[in-house]
Amino acid sequence: MTESAAAEVAPNSGRFLRPERVKEATLLGIIALSVVVFAFLIDGYLSGRFFNRVTTSVVIVTLLAAAQALVIFSRNIDLSVGSMVGVAAYLTGDFLAATGQGPIVAMLVAMVVGAVLGSVNGLLVAFGGVPAIIVTLGTLALFRTLLSIYSEGANVLAGDLPPWVLEFNNVTLFTIAGFDVRLVFVMAVLVVLALQFALARLRWGRRIYAIGSNPAAAVQTGLPTASLIFWSFVGSGALAGLAGFMFMARAGTISATAGAGLELESVAAAVVGGVSILGGSGTMVGAFLGAIFIDTLKLSLVRVPEVSEFWRDAFLGILILAAVILDTLLRNRFNRRWSAEARKAMESTGRTAVGMARAAGGGGTADA
Amino acid sequence: MRDWASKHRWESLLLVVLLATILVNVSLSPFYLGFGNFVNLFWLSIEKVIVVVVMTFVIINGEIDLSVASVMGFSAAVTATLYDGGQVPFALAIVIGITAGAIAGLLQGLVITRFGLPSLVVTLAGLIGFRGAARVLLEDRSVGDFPEWFESIGQRTLVGPFPVALILFFVGLALAWVILERSAFGRKVYVIGNSADVARFSGIEVGSVKLRLFIASGTVAGLAGILFAARVGAVQGTLGETYELDIITMVLLGGVSIFGGSGSMLGVVLALFTVLNIRNGLGLANIDGITQTGVIGLLLIGSVLVPNLAQKYRLRRPRAEAVAHGPP
Amino acid sequence: MKAIKRRSRALVPMVVLALVIAACGGDTDDTTTTAGEATTTAAEATTTVAAETTTSAGDTTTSAAAAGDAVEIAAGDSITATFLPKCTNIAVFPQANSGAEEAAAELGSDPAEFVGPADCGDTTGQIEFMTNAVTQGVDAIMLSNNSGDQLDAPAQAAADAGIPVVTWDSPIPSATGESVFVAQVDFDETGQVMADMARSILGDDGGQFAILSATPDAANQNAWIAAMEEVIAGPDYANLELVETVYGNDVAEDSVTAALGLVDSHPDLELIMAPTTVGIVAAAQAMTQEGLCETIKVSGLGLPEEMAPYVESGCAPEFALWSFVDLGYLAYYVAYGIATEQIAAEEGTTFVAGRMGEYEITADPTRDAGLRVLMGPFSVYNAENPGT
Repeated sequence: MTESAAAEVAPNSGRFLRPERVKEATLLGIIALSVVVFAFLIDGYLSGRFFNRVTTSVVIVTLLAAAQALVIFSRNIDLSVGSMVGVAAYLTGDFLAATGQGPIVAMLVAMVVGAVLGSVNGLLVAFGGVPAIIVTLGTLALFRTLLSIYSEGANVLAGDLPPWVLEFNNVTLFTIAGFDVRLVFVMAVLVVLALQFALARLRWGRRIYAIGSNPAAAVQTGLPTASLIFWSFVGSGALAGLAGFMFMARAGTISATAGAGLELESVAAAVVGGVSILGGSGTMVGAFLGAIFIDTLKLSLVRVPEVSEFWRDAFLGILILAAVILDTLLRNRFNRRWSAEARKAMESTGRTAVGMARAAGGGGTADA
Repeated sequence: MRDWASKHRWESLLLVVLLATILVNVSLSPFYLGFGNFVNLFWLSIEKVIVVVVMTFVIINGEIDLSVASVMGFSAAVTATLYDGGQVPFALAIVIGITAGAIAGLLQGLVITRFGLPSLVVTLAGLIGFRGAARVLLEDRSVGDFPEWFESIGQRTLVGPFPVALILFFVGLALAWVILERSAFGRKVYVIGNSADVARFSGIEVGSVKLRLFIASGTVAGLAGILFAARVGAVQGTLGETYELDIITMVLLGGVSIFGGSGSMLGVVLALFTVLNIRNGLGLANIDGITQTGVIGLLLIGSVLVPNLAQKYRLRRPRAEAVAHGPP
Repeated sequence: MKAIKRRSRALVPMVVLALVIAACGGDTDDTTTTAGEATTTAAEATTTVAAETTTSAGDTTTSAAAAGDAVEIAAGDSITATFLPKCTNIAVFPQANSGAEEAAAELGSDPAEFVGPADCGDTTGQIEFMTNAVTQGVDAIMLSNNSGDQLDAPAQAAADAGIPVVTWDSPIPSATGESVFVAQVDFDETGQVMADMARSILGDDGGQFAILSATPDAANQNAWIAAMEEVIAGPDYANLELVETVYGNDVAEDSVTAALGLVDSHPDLELIMAPTTVGIVAAAQAMTQEGLCETIKVSGLGLPEEMAPYVESGCAPEFALWSFVDLGYLAYYVAYGIATEQIAAEEGTTFVAGRMGEYEITADPTRDAGLRVLMGPFSVYNAENPGT
């Protein structure tokens, strides 16, 4: 009786039905459901070609959603990711045009560029004490200006890039019944899983959630908040840089306005994926699913003959709203349920408040 | 004056920046100092500026409305579509268009207050959704050929050299100043922004205030969209795209805290003047729009960073000062 | 009460400042009179002739100025000018600007200011630049119109201030405020060239094709598409079927999306015709990414440098363009000639524009009103003639 009660009163340890899991499962279910619906509405929807298009297209949004989630967990935001993508794509393109290196070097270059840009954000937020929304609004403009000046109006031409670039998105690891599993998609999945693992298991991961949950408490408990926030922005920048590399491979020709507007999509994908804008909750996998959902919807709606392409954005807006409302409702229900259960358990075992706090202490950070 | 300056640090800083901007502009281009240019300076951005006035309230209240530019486009699209069909007289179409904006604000406000959702997310959805709605209505087309009287509102002058929109702005500004800083409603806005819980315990109807602000935001955005159509002579689904960034920048630059609870209309007006002057001056010196935005971004960051660093510096040398000046 | 006093004390210096600025600075009218005087005669001539040009479409020798002597536009004073393309980040426009700079150097003038919106999707961005140019009192404005009718008012304001507005690449549809339009090619001929390329690519069996255009308001693209539709209505093109026209707004991402949309909605599509250098690259890239280059070809108006890899891969077997450098060069010569009153913007005027030779101002047969200088030939690019 006491063991099970103990397990019950510590809501998140050992229990599989955590709120994030439920959210992720729901999202997965919704994605599957929409695929089925679309398959009915659109001829030839379940084709290898469409699957390939979605998997290669979703890579960029996934990386950006991950970048955004990393920053949002600590109750910040990064509105400059779009500009970072543009700068990284352009500089990497220029670099390749000049040196003709291979993909690994190019990816490193892109990520370093992104990390440097991210560190500017990190410095200003963590050490300059400027709110993230202001910093990243400013760097959104600044980075774009620097790119515009650097590019002098010229584009990076597809013809100047080494031939592997245009083929990069088509590189397939293996094929199952006409459905290619593309390298870039696998890369994105690996990045997401790696980040998910790091955030869940490593200490700095949990600390980032803690900062987002309650910044004041985090500072008072002596967490190295400034340093953690700084590095989360650097990480976000590196991910945006990698997204820039993917962007370059997809677009071929790159102009100084590349990547404009992607920041909104990244926030939307993260939010739909269950990442709370207030920080402290959500998962990388959730953000990934959010990105898949939004991208699939975008690419699919265009094909439904009754629905004109102009409905796409209108739907997207409704969708985001629905996702957030659902998220809040779920969270409220779970919170009520758990606090009710906890109360019952407390009453039945006669445990003290202190004892319960100690038992629940470890699982409080990644909570919904 | 010194007393005022120390109590209104931010506004004083902005005044200095504004003067510096004007001086730089004068040196950059001889065409800057001209009354016609002064009018143009406002005129070309009048729609943004009108929305800035309302956004000030929203942000002081601790919320944010990212959807304003999309609602601009949406209202203008509603008006244009109704008029284009031929059935609806234009004046009525305008009224319906502005009402559409009000409804957009109402919808978002309801979701925010009833479900307790963060306004950042709800209005982000609104930004995407209402832009989509505008494009559904207008698709790829551009609707123009509005009645003569409408275009003259936007393009010609009414009183002296001032076009209608400019007059509306000054009137609206005066009204807004009175409401924000002199009325009970304004006080409530501040209190809620500081702490919604405290406000609730004080008996303030937090939800009602917020809802009203969002409705106002939508209505004004709708009006701004119509004014834009009058000035430009045509409406497209992409009307006003990316304006929200400039609008929010102007409010934040005006010293309004993003966390809510503080800020003044004077600061916002100074920030307005500054941003418009920067854009105008740089434009006359043939510096492109992206660089203009970069300069403004730099200014935005600097406006918060510099006082922060100054604060830290001041905290580091307290001893000598305290000894010299005695107890505070 | 005290608070109000304190606040208004702050406002007073501001108001004083504003008044001082207004008083000190001259009127915009003052700053433009010098430039205005130089061009009033030209402007007046334009307004009177504009009424006449609409009557005689084919008649080219109305006014006395067309006495047969071509005026050689000669170097002289430096003029201030604004070169305002649709946007600044599409490669063809800096090319045009370099042509304008070449012309300016030959004519002993300072180069024109190259300004414009950064993003071609922003169709209202040009208004501000036009208004600023009028404020600055430049001697001439060279415009490639991306804003349809929205530029009517600012262009008229420029004309009222005596500033000649010379359009190139894309005119003002109603010709309001416009002095003359320097057309790169005859717009009807563009339709012919595109139709011929389509026919040669689709072969004798013909097939389905779609058009991927720029912004819905772009005067030039709309005219070309209309011309093409007329051509393919003819008997020789009977087996060419145009299934849809979509708009990519001259923005790369949107154009890719539009191209993919075409592919999805029309499974039998064999060709995408894109009369825009952004659209053709986007379509070619989209087909390459989807692996569809075998079945769907891409053609239209493209820059050889940008299309090189797609020509090589066979995605874009054939496309055409003209020299934007030449276009900018010619536009500058025309603007300079009008601004310095060496030529009048009237029908029948003939002139020599530097290295490009002799041209004539005629009525524009493709619009209801307006004058035109027709530049020159198409270049068709393919694997044998990649143009790079």
